[in-house]
Amino acid sequence: MAIDEVVSILLLLAGAVFFFAGTLGLLRFPDIYTRLHALTKADNVGLGLMVAGLALQAESAAAVGKLMVIWLLVLLAGGSVAHLVAAAARRRGIVPWKR
Amino acid sequence: MPGFRDSGEQRFVSFFPMRILLFSLLWWILTDGVMASWLVGVPVVLLATAVSMVLLPPFSGSLRGVVQFVPLFLWRSLRGGVDVAWRALHPRRPLSPGFIKYRWHLPPGLPRVVMADIISLLPGTLSVELGDHYLHVHLLDEQQDFLSEVGKVEQSVAAIFAISLWPEREIK
Repeated sequence: MAIDEVVSILLLLAGAVFFFAGTLGLLRFPDIYTRLHALTKADNVGLGLMVAGLALQAESAAAVGKLMVIWLLVLLAGGSVAHLVAAAARRRGIVPWKR
Repeated sequence: MPGFRDSGEQRFVSFFPMRILLFSLLWWILTDGVMASWLVGVPVVLLATAVSMVLLPPFSGSLRGVVQFVPLFLWRSLRGGVDVAWRALHPRRPLSPGFIKYRWHLPPGLPRVVMADIISLLPGTLSVELGDHYLHVHLLDEQQDFLSEVGKVEQSVAAIFAISLWPEREIK
């Protein structure tokens, strides 16, 4: 196996670990605000690593560009939607979980 | 939005080519660089540029600010991901959340929205409300030093938009 294939597989696996951790956080964290933290951050990194891993296997520069555009759009959507959900929760008076 | 949309004409000239370049790049990416597609691509790029000028009027910006921000953002989001993954996987699920208010030093409008978006992707912070004077942020761990982190992001955003932050004493 070529070295770039090995690096690509490692990046994809690392990405999967972050998606797993993000989902675990979504299930385990105590309230809506902390769950949003888990989703936005872990999935942002997980997708970034997957995009990096797939870019190494891409057949053209345009395909790499397409992967980057996907990541940027998901970042934009993730950041904005997390904010909107949190803002709605606060307006409804949902009290954040305290230790 | 005073303070960051002045001298519009000059920026119009400098930003029109920039947008044509970006939309052309996007078209090239989407069509896998097929030459024949430019028959449709050229009018589409021009139309998209014209529409974007209406939807998002030209604003000041610094390419250098953007380039300097990229490694900072990548490193921090990686840290944010590792931090939250560790807390999710830890048997005791260590969290001590809290709310803070951060006083804006940025002018209202696009810069504040961009900053709020970035904050939500960085370690331990989630922007909840964009107030007139404050950004309300939810923290995953109150004990961490959030103020200097948020301040650094604000400086980066100011550099991206090529604007200066309001000095502390002028804020009421």
